[in-house]
Amino acid sequence: MQRIGKRKRETAEFGIFTLPAIVCVLFAFFIPFFMSMKYSFTEWNGIQKSPTYIGWDNFKNIFSGDNNFVNSSLFTLKYSILYIVLVNAIAIILAVILDQKLKSSTFLRTVFFIPYIISLIIVGFIWKFILAQGFTSLSELTGFSVFDLSWLGEPRLAFFSILAVSIWQSIGFYIVIYIAGLQSISPELLEAATVDGAGPFRRFFSITFPLLAPAITVSIFMSLTNALKVFDIILSLTGGGPGGSTYSVTLDIYRDTFQNNMYGYGTAKALLLFVAIMLITIIQLKYFKSKEVEA
Amino acid sequence: MQLKRSKLILIEVIMIIIGILFLFPILLVLMNSFKTFGEVMTDVMALPHKIQFANYSYVWTYLHYPRLFLNTAIITVLGVAGIILFGSMASYKLARTKNKWSGAVYLYCIIPMLIPFQTIMITVLKLAKQFHLSESTWGLGMQYWGFGIPLAVFIYHGFTKSIPLEIDESAKIDGASGLYLFFKIIFPLLRPVTATVIIIDVMWIWNDFLLPLIMVNGTNSTRTLTLAAYTFVGQYTTDWQYTMTAMVMAVFPSILVFILLQKHIVKGVAAGAVKG
Repeated sequence: MQRIGKRKRETAEFGIFTLPAIVCVLFAFFIPFFMSMKYSFTEWNGIQKSPTYIGWDNFKNIFSGDNNFVNSSLFTLKYSILYIVLVNAIAIILAVILDQKLKSSTFLRTVFFIPYIISLIIVGFIWKFILAQGFTSLSELTGFSVFDLSWLGEPRLAFFSILAVSIWQSIGFYIVIYIAGLQSISPELLEAATVDGAGPFRRFFSITFPLLAPAITVSIFMSLTNALKVFDIILSLTGGGPGGSTYSVTLDIYRDTFQNNMYGYGTAKALLLFVAIMLITIIQLKYFKSKEVEA
Repeated sequence: MQLKRSKLILIEVIMIIIGILFLFPILLVLMNSFKTFGEVMTDVMALPHKIQFANYSYVWTYLHYPRLFLNTAIITVLGVAGIILFGSMASYKLARTKNKWSGAVYLYCIIPMLIPFQTIMITVLKLAKQFHLSESTWGLGMQYWGFGIPLAVFIYHGFTKSIPLEIDESAKIDGASGLYLFFKIIFPLLRPVTATVIIIDVMWIWNDFLLPLIMVNGTNSTRTLTLAAYTFVGQYTTDWQYTMTAMVMAVFPSILVFILLQKHIVKGVAAGAVKG
């Protein structure tokens, strides 16, 4: 009798502790997620009371002749690859430099981190101002023709502006991760390599880089998920323009749903985005975990 | 990988120059927020003729700044408080209970980290309308509980496992149990990880855009700082002196807090990322 009483009490306590979290997650993610699966098979303008069931039509339409979907997917893919490679490469270089015994290391780390605490929407507006007004003044001041280019008005340049601004905003975050990674590498290993006659580059590529693997895994994971979901910066910097050339997948979903009122269709696209992100993330984590080495 | 001193000085100088150029856009925005419209149009690079706060007082009253600040603060505090409370409670029980239910609930809590917000935003809005949580500051704050709990549980869970079980046991001998034991004994021990979660979540909720956009953009009285800045810049596209001011005012609270707490913030973010 007593044992049953104890088990009941334990179950009740488990419930008291976990139920609030379970309920919150249920309403924030699982109910909306399964509702989304339902709505992706419907046509719905968001106002009419009940959506019309149309089977696989949304998905068929997405894969046959939705140019917006193709273009925004290509944009997101190109952006993600370049962003992940550049932001991690630059962050590793800067982290290695800041890890030297510089007097200004802490100060510089703070400097690089500041854009990261600013809302992405505002970051987009700041750069819109710089690229429009600021560059005009800089061009008059210096005469460099780089500043005369239409950095937001030409599709190719607008792409690079978005890329550069995204890197500017988030680089500090990745620097912090890589510095933490560098500081966990024991100095004895590097000293031993120096004694064995390894130069700075050899030391970096043979010791530092492999031992940085956990930090690289984390950073690539974070930059990947953020890049595939890029939204705010584009919305405030170019708004998808010029001529719709800088729509990312998320911005395209936003346009379909809230501007064109195609809720069912937008949901179907959003579900495809989920599947893509999940597959890419799992593959990435599996691949990089297998590459990590023990120190 | 340490280099020679002379090289270090050279690198130091180069890095400081890069650092200044790096922050130049922000300084430029700050500088232009003090200028008149004419000054901005003639030369963006020039210093303002005199420091005047006309732009600030205009934007302050036009946007009802105190109201926006209060809205954003309520949403952030309410959101973070719920995430910390429910997240830490659940993680503690999940880390201490060893059975298949506990494992399943843990997975249930962290799997949503893989779901992008855009995938569910439409149905989240529909659900929020049904429960009358949209168009409301408090309602929006409560919605962050569910969105923030997965990461919080993930970070807390790893840390709770490192707290020795003996602490629970000796507290139980002293007669403490259940919620009392958790809040009196365990929760204070979780302080470092609580700080990390607070920092990550405050930065996220304070600056968040898409969820507030679909939830509380309908009326002026419920907008957040970021939302108001977005709407304002949309209306005043060419009045750069006002848009610069609005941006400075939207960003200022975060930068101030960051400067005051930078050591903890940088450490907290690194700890969170390494655990996550």
